[in-house]
Amino acid sequence: MTTITISRQLGSQGTQIAREVGTRLGFGVLRREVINEAARRAGAPEVALAAIDYLGLFDLHPSQEACRSYRQAVREVIEGLADEGEVVIVGRAGQVVLAGRPDVLHVRIIAPPDVRIKRIEALQDIPTAAARAQMERSDRTRREYLHCAHDVHWNNPELYDLVLNTERMTVASSADLICRALTECFDDRGDD
Amino acid sequence: MTDLTDPEGSQPSFAHPTEEAFARILDYYGIEWEYEPRTFVLERDDNGNIAAGFSPDFYLPMQDLYVELTTRRPNLVTSKNRKVRRLQELYPDVNIKLFKRRDIRDLMIKYGLDQHAEPILGTEAQEEP
Repeated sequence: MTTITISRQLGSQGTQIAREVGTRLGFGVLRREVINEAARRAGAPEVALAAIDYLGLFDLHPSQEACRSYRQAVREVIEGLADEGEVVIVGRAGQVVLAGRPDVLHVRIIAPPDVRIKRIEALQDIPTAAARAQMERSDRTRREYLHCAHDVHWNNPELYDLVLNTERMTVASSADLICRALTECFDDRGDD
Repeated sequence: MTDLTDPEGSQPSFAHPTEEAFARILDYYGIEWEYEPRTFVLERDDNGNIAAGFSPDFYLPMQDLYVELTTRRPNLVTSKNRKVRRLQELYPDVNIKLFKRRDIRDLMIKYGLDQHAEPILGTEAQEEP
């Protein structure tokens, strides 16, 4: 049973790539489900909104206790999913929670800032400045979550088996590489 | 959540611009919502008629959370806090959160969610490109 974690930047096409990988492999793709289930377990449903709100628009400030309970619940949910396997887990520090597990492939999806801004701009039909602001705020929110919750820097390549720069790659070619990496990592085990 | 791919789809009539702005944010994040879907009975008179009810502004089914919006005016907050507390006493299994809204117009403009919010509702714009 294998699991893939995908960490992605806004504008990197990471979510679409995760979906494509899930479709090809027949794996479930979980993103918000992890957040919602963890918040339910933590008994703090509003934390789910705070976790989704990477632009800070809800102005939510859950208590430290609620955040701790939520992070613990996220860990439990992610570990449970990995135990079942055949799943792509998007975000929520899956690369840290499942670090060291031999049955998990960790993928990071990035793109240069100017490429990301253009994608956000085109997709949402918003001005360049707004796209840049979304990107910067999203980066800050996600970086801080990794740092505060797990004391790691999300761009540390050692957290990942594979880092993909999608500047010149399509969703399909990126999914190709991830599927191939999965096959090579797990089919070759025990050959040495 | 309003499905703009459906030509028959339309936004509900919001009672307050704050509610509409909040709905836009929910749509931006791809969070399903229902507008005032339920009225909770808070009090009945001697004849069993409803004497006081409370209809939270939004229900978010995926989070199983009701949301009531309020401005930061103290008298309004106090009144709504009272209703929320009463609802929690009578319906302990219901999750509700009172959002004390600051003016987020500047933030919505900064992130391009003001005039361009409508066309992206329910689209891949929520898919974190």
